[in-house]
Amino acid sequence: MTDTLESREASTLPPVELREAAGAVAGTGRRGARWWSGVGLVLLIASLGALAWTPGPLVRPEGFTLVTDFLGAATTPSTDGAFLAVVGSAAVTTVAYAVLGTVVSVVLGFVGGILSSEVWWLEGRHGAARRRATAGWIAVRGTLVLPRAIHEVIWGLVFLSVLGLTPLVAVLAIGIPFGAVTAKVFSELLDESPRRPYRAALAAGTPRAIALLHTLLPVAWSDLLSYGFYRFECAIRSAAILGLIGAGGLGFQLALSLQTLNYREVWTVLYALIVLSAATDVWSSAVRRRRASGARPGNPVIRGSLVAALVLGLFSLWWVQLDLSVLVAADTWRLAGQIVTDAWPPTLDVPVFELVVAALITVAMSVLAIVLAVAGGAVLAFPAASTGAPTIGRRVRVVATRAVLIVLRALPPPVWALLFLFVMAPGLLPGAMALGVYTLGILGRLMAESVENLERRPQQALQAAGASGAAVSVYAVVPAVAPRFVAFGLYRWEVTIRETVVVGVVGAGGLGLLLNDQLTSFDYAASLTTLAVVVVLTALVDATSAGVRRSVR
Amino acid sequence: MRRVLAVIVLVLTAALTAACGGGAEPRELVISAIPDQDPQKLQRLYGALAERLTGTLGFPVRYVPLTDYAASVTAYRRGDLDMVFFGGLTGVQARQQVPGSVPLAQRDVDERFRSVFVATTASGIAPVADVAGLRSVGGRSLTFGSESSTSGRLMPQFFLDQAGVGPNAFRGPSGFSGSHDATIAVVTSGAYEVGALNSSVWDQRVAAGQVDTTKVREIFRTPTYHDYHWLARPDIDDELGAGATSRIRDALLGLRPSDPVDKNILDLFGAGSFIPTQPQNYDQVEQVGRSLGLVQ
Repeated sequence: MTDTLESREASTLPPVELREAAGAVAGTGRRGARWWSGVGLVLLIASLGALAWTPGPLVRPEGFTLVTDFLGAATTPSTDGAFLAVVGSAAVTTVAYAVLGTVVSVVLGFVGGILSSEVWWLEGRHGAARRRATAGWIAVRGTLVLPRAIHEVIWGLVFLSVLGLTPLVAVLAIGIPFGAVTAKVFSELLDESPRRPYRAALAAGTPRAIALLHTLLPVAWSDLLSYGFYRFECAIRSAAILGLIGAGGLGFQLALSLQTLNYREVWTVLYALIVLSAATDVWSSAVRRRRASGARPGNPVIRGSLVAALVLGLFSLWWVQLDLSVLVAADTWRLAGQIVTDAWPPTLDVPVFELVVAALITVAMSVLAIVLAVAGGAVLAFPAASTGAPTIGRRVRVVATRAVLIVLRALPPPVWALLFLFVMAPGLLPGAMALGVYTLGILGRLMAESVENLERRPQQALQAAGASGAAVSVYAVVPAVAPRFVAFGLYRWEVTIRETVVVGVVGAGGLGLLLNDQLTSFDYAASLTTLAVVVVLTALVDATSAGVRRSVR
Repeated sequence: MRRVLAVIVLVLTAALTAACGGGAEPRELVISAIPDQDPQKLQRLYGALAERLTGTLGFPVRYVPLTDYAASVTAYRRGDLDMVFFGGLTGVQARQQVPGSVPLAQRDVDERFRSVFVATTASGIAPVADVAGLRSVGGRSLTFGSESSTSGRLMPQFFLDQAGVGPNAFRGPSGFSGSHDATIAVVTSGAYEVGALNSSVWDQRVAAGQVDTTKVREIFRTPTYHDYHWLARPDIDDELGAGATSRIRDALLGLRPSDPVDKNILDLFGAGSFIPTQPQNYDQVEQVGRSLGLVQ
């Protein structure tokens, strides 16, 4: 394949991180769209209806003084020398966890992606062999849902009880769920790569693995790396959340300062998180923009980034003193066995009604959160997108909007939850708001990128024909971005279901609170039941969102 | 490109293998604490206690900072922590998971620990004289602190139960603010009408003028119970030599407020001194935990 052909192909494909949202599915037509919009509307109305359950007024303006206390401290963060040193070293730890977690996730995603791809199982197989292979393919894909459905914090607690107090806990708690997501994306990349060379190699009798390594991998590989850079920014946020359960790093310092509501210290940590978020955002989008515009690996930015990533990886290994021997220690296997016997069989005589109510609360909270995030993201995506001539005013607008988005996603959901609780009645609403604004920060960025990647020609044609700005938006921009925005929202919806686990503070109930209570009393069997419900819920949401995405295509 | 990747893979493999080669670990005592007083101060100045104990005991003592109760019980069960300053409930849970664990010492304040119930002035809930009076918080919204907290959840829930106010007798599900200070804040904001927390944290915040007493006031102080204590794993003597456990106990009990170094440590723990304790002191906590389903 010539360079020009490959680069043209690269530029017509959407950027790799957008693939999480855009699975390869065929359209189901207008009737499907109507049906799914109906489902969505019913869900939204039911979730809004659930708000009515909260007794008393939903918003309490008199609590606002506490929010201003918090915001006021933003101008006077703690600058105590010793504390700054602690925060500095915690920030390095957080970065190290994120780097190593990302490395694990890319490795797992690489292997898992091949093993869960259609080309690996099905291509060139016929008859009974194909049927057997289909069963294998479905089994692997199904298995990959599990790690995704379980929140990093829960993974963290599981690994903690097996591996003990080692940095490996944080690395694996990030690497495993992220690896499953990466595997899903990478398998789709492989399946979408041109298959003719692979087919030819298989037909010539080349072993499957070798054929795949030589024909498909070279095409998909650099997309995998570029996706790794995207995941890295997510990993920073995850590493911070993990700190809350005691894995160290910025999250740990944040948890300590939050415990006594020392807002000035809280802000110092938050600023550190914001700076890290912004830096990784700038770095990873620089790499991905170069990739999307078809730059070759020889490009100085990409080459430099790979070298920097390597250095960072080695530094991280040294910084956290990762000790892998614990993985093969006899004790580890005994403890892993112990946690399995503790948790198995899962409790079955649970109050079913209570579980169903909790599941409904979780769904309602996630629906409200995601609707808020998509709506807000859609509004902020346009000012955050750097399109058109780079005037100074425009640049200021882009930077300012992006800064807002970074702050929204840099503050961990538990912090948002506490703030919203100050001014809202305990229940669904503060939880939904907390998850909503956090997700808005994430979605707004992705949406801005998809606005930037928009095909310009329809707009230019309308402008050339003398259409007004409003008309251009209505006829050329909105129809083009709306399906993508919806797809992003649906993709994040699944994630939001998991995230409800970390906003227990809002007193909304739901599966998160239930799980916390069960983990607090070390009732592993009951926790397993609750987790199973979360997994089922995630699978349902996954199926629903696949259906909706198919219909909006 | 391919060459760059090959180098990356090679170097990472080498680094991982190098990181694998851990030698025999020195025998040391690993301790941790999740105290109620200024946790951030203690967790950041944790060197002090470890250094002091290392000096007295003659073997290395390492302090691991943790904030999460579940994480510390889990690490204790696994044997990663040898001795932990647990709360009443978490101590019972840990003792259950590691049978034979020894409660070594408690702070002077821990043998007569109390919780307070606070309420917004706007709620109009009047101070009550006895446990039975807590009936008046039924039907109100209420928040506890952390789920595993003895003074911020377990004992308040127990006294509420005694007053006939069950876990579902509140307006909406009861909240878990996460900490004693957060409880004060969310009650002050009016998010919850009633909150339950550690009395010494409350007293300190009121004395320091950090509580808006026009918005929130104390309505009840519970009877006393036993709370925090140092719990040691039963295998310490095997690991660190016969008599190690009692030497550690003596070292803790021997911290003197008259000595400036010791005073600093005791202050970090919010203690006048450490005093002896025994397993029976936590029978009540265990019983309550069992009745509330927090102890299996």
